[in-house]
Amino acid sequence: MNRRAEQQQPKGYEKAETQWHDDYRRDIGDAQPVHNRSGVPIEPLYGPSTDPGAAHLEHLGLPGQLPYTRGIYPTMHRGQTWSQRQLIGHGTPAEYNERVLKMIDAGTTAISLIPCNSVYRGNDCDEIPLPLLGTCGTVVNTAEHMDHALSQVDIAAISTAMNDPSPFTLLSFVLNVADRRAVPWQQISGTSNQSDYLSHFIANHMFFRLSLEGARRVLLDHIAFCRERVPNWNPLSVVGQHMQQAGATPAQAMGFTLCSALQYGRDCLQRGLDPDDFLPRFTFFFDISMSLFEEVAKFRAGRRLWARLTLEQLGATTDRARRFKFHGQTSGADLTRQQPLNNIARVTTQAIAGILGGLQSLHTDAFDEVINVPNEDPARIAVATQNILREEAGLCDVIDPLGGSWYVENLTDEMEKTIVAVIDTVENAGGMYAAAESGLVQRMIGESALAWQDRIDTGDQKIVGVNCYRVPEEKDNHAVPPTVRPAKDKMQAHVDQLRRFKTDRSQAAVQQSLTALARAANSTDDNVFARVVEATAAGVTHGEVIACLRQELGFGQPLIVD
Amino acid sequence: MLLDALMAGDRRALGRAITLAETGGDRAAELGRQIREHTGNARVIGVTGPPGAGKSTLTNRLIGALRAGGQSVAVLAVDPSSPISGGAILGDRLRMTSHTDDDDVFIRSLAARGHLGGLTASTPAVIDILDAGGYQQVILETVGTGQSEVEVGEIADIRVVVCTPGMGDDIQAMKAGLFEIADILVVNKSDQDGVDQTVRHLESMLSLRGPEHTRAVIVPTTATKGDGIDDLLNAIDRCSTILNPNERRRDRTRRLLAGRAAELLREHLLRHDSERLDTACRAYENGERSLEQSARDLLKLEYP
Amino acid sequence: MNTQTPYRVLVTKVGLDGHDRGSRIVAAYLRDAGMEVVYTPPWQSVDQVVRLANDEDVDLVGVSSLSTDHLIVPDLMQALRKAALEHVPVVVGGIVPDTEHALLFDAGVSAIFGPGTARDTIVNTVRQLAAAARDALENPFT
Repeated sequence: MNRRAEQQQPKGYEKAETQWHDDYRRDIGDAQPVHNRSGVPIEPLYGPSTDPGAAHLEHLGLPGQLPYTRGIYPTMHRGQTWSQRQLIGHGTPAEYNERVLKMIDAGTTAISLIPCNSVYRGNDCDEIPLPLLGTCGTVVNTAEHMDHALSQVDIAAISTAMNDPSPFTLLSFVLNVADRRAVPWQQISGTSNQSDYLSHFIANHMFFRLSLEGARRVLLDHIAFCRERVPNWNPLSVVGQHMQQAGATPAQAMGFTLCSALQYGRDCLQRGLDPDDFLPRFTFFFDISMSLFEEVAKFRAGRRLWARLTLEQLGATTDRARRFKFHGQTSGADLTRQQPLNNIARVTTQAIAGILGGLQSLHTDAFDEVINVPNEDPARIAVATQNILREEAGLCDVIDPLGGSWYVENLTDEMEKTIVAVIDTVENAGGMYAAAESGLVQRMIGESALAWQDRIDTGDQKIVGVNCYRVPEEKDNHAVPPTVRPAKDKMQAHVDQLRRFKTDRSQAAVQQSLTALARAANSTDDNVFARVVEATAAGVTHGEVIACLRQELGFGQPLIVD
Repeated sequence: MLLDALMAGDRRALGRAITLAETGGDRAAELGRQIREHTGNARVIGVTGPPGAGKSTLTNRLIGALRAGGQSVAVLAVDPSSPISGGAILGDRLRMTSHTDDDDVFIRSLAARGHLGGLTASTPAVIDILDAGGYQQVILETVGTGQSEVEVGEIADIRVVVCTPGMGDDIQAMKAGLFEIADILVVNKSDQDGVDQTVRHLESMLSLRGPEHTRAVIVPTTATKGDGIDDLLNAIDRCSTILNPNERRRDRTRRLLAGRAAELLREHLLRHDSERLDTACRAYENGERSLEQSARDLLKLEYP
Repeated sequence: MNTQTPYRVLVTKVGLDGHDRGSRIVAAYLRDAGMEVVYTPPWQSVDQVVRLANDEDVDLVGVSSLSTDHLIVPDLMQALRKAALEHVPVVVGGIVPDTEHALLFDAGVSAIFGPGTARDTIVNTVRQLAAAARDALENPFT
């Protein structure tokens, strides 16, 4: 396998290849050229003549060896398979706790918390219409709420992923809870998901909370704070998922994400942080589309590029600092409302792509996600999909099983070139921060989204059940269970409880903490996140922290370019 | 009835009346005539500049500053229409949302609808409606594409042209258009590098302008942070004191009438008097008359 | 007169969600079909949408919703009526569970476009509804 293929071609191979080519042309004619979603032209056949040769092996590396094309660990899924991290969150903290304890009983070792949309928007629940509360996530506004949500959960042992944009109030609540339970912060482990404010400004405005500049400041404070005081916490997850969901091609999503990571890395360097210390705590989060081979190549190329960029651009010296750890989520944008059970097949395909691409953790979408907030049965099937792939399909038997495929190696190289072109565009525009601020990235994503939609509208891209293989409406959709909404009385009680909490707490302590927070925001040397942690310990709520920082650091508006 | 409602400050009437003005026709003309005596009070501030200069953010800040001074503010944000479909996405509102709850702020987006000047044909009529509706300040925000600036110059009382540091080449390109009409040159994003250089560059360009332009001032701002907005407002106020409201109104009407007459004349020549136009053309092509002379020949003729 | 001027349509998102890929694509569809689209960032309140519909004097309001924000569309319908804008049709696009379609239709919503709705269906429905709304306003002075 290590020998150059051309030299090993049996006699007559060339003739045979010419013969095939003629046969192919005769049968298919000059058919439309095929391009993948990233615009890379795809040949009908790859073979020895497209083999990149022995020099290519240097760009591959073995698993666990630089440049990590074949995987960042020596054992990959043969050793420890990916972690199964399903996003959960619904209703009140008590309802969340009930569900989490069930999951822990069933053997889960890592949990996640999705807060309610009102939390994302930076509001407390007493400011929001009741019907919107708790429909898509848990309503957590105070350290008390977090204490309830994690009741009987051993936070020293379990890894918790928080969907927690700047200014990271959920982690703040967790640290407050740790203090109450006398758990040292060194034992707290997990990840601040949704800490990548650039992706919110650009592509997923759901998580957008503070002005671009303010978010930049608070993220750096957060990273510095965690490195010093919560060493087992990953303070940054760089997100490509939002951009791909918003319409970026896979190559664009990878390119933009690497640019964001570079931006954060440079910001950390400027802050005086050590790349060998902070880079191992950077994690990535990607979308996995239906374009199976393209996704595999995207991840392989991404690993290789990050290994290079960390060295050349950020000055990493340890191998560990150059590893590209990523979580994958199957693409909701590829799912269809039509014939929703078909989505199980789609999610399976996407999950296979992510697994073959060498991911570290995986979320599989429920088939009804395009219709509902996932119901219990569809959510169970999503988990089962992962279990089936891990236990039955033999996907974990071999590390990087597509490595050495003429097609996949070629595609990995081509994707890398396409990704590098994206990176060059952004870097030439002054880096990701400047490119986002000017709207360049948004414009590129918007154009890709429209081009993709155009392919579907014209039928060039077939989507089963949408523009082909349709069934009559009455035969459609029966499999979807009805939507369950949070119990209104429980939510109302939760809101009333927060109102009482706000009246009963020490107003002096609240005022004092908010003053300190505002002062930190206007200083250049105080750590804003440290003041957030103190404030929430003193009873300041999520909404109050954000209102204060919006006042001091600016609210801003995400830049949407038409 | 619409007139009464409009004068009474009815928002619904205002929204409908602008649509009527945009649609045109006899009723629009009639409304325009009826409200005339109630107009002339609003100050029209034109804000223009190249895409990406931060006009919307600046406008948003300007609204805030004017509101803080107790003034009611209307904004007309003009976007181009697609030449192919005739449709438009009116997205200038994107970052103007912090004043949407304020009863004394009225924001309306207009599509240029193929009007070549970059503004819309109905803009003067719409401004009159807002004026009659009691809005004291009207901000007219347009993208400076090299066409609209002349019209903004015709319509606005005070013309604010926005640029950013490092737009050196763009400023050169603006020279003939945007730059010439400016009463106030805003250098936005002044927290970026190169602001001093840009200001110096603008100053040297200003020094080359004729005496009729000498009052133009340069104001650095950082609209995202609100820095320099008070300076901008002061500059606008100083500009306003140069003309009293009646003169200002008369000035605007004169420019409007002259502009409209020129448009009619052009149309007439091209469509209904091609013979005379051709004669003048030939005289120019033969080298008998200069371009200027040929044009003057045409103007000496009488038109109905 | 109705055929002379383009239809004006508001494309917006109410409530808390921020996913706007759908609203951007629909806005482009309608623009390319010759309409003037007033486009807003997400997170508009019901009152803000009413004000926009009034000030921009639109012929139709389109609300995009991905995660349950459609539940406050009935409030929007009521607020539009209160502001004497009941003639302005409202359409909702995005993820609305089948079991909640009735809630929206009962509140007066004219159409719901789920994922995968064909471009032509969206454009034609919007055009018909906007035309009908304009015709219903016999006197532009009301």
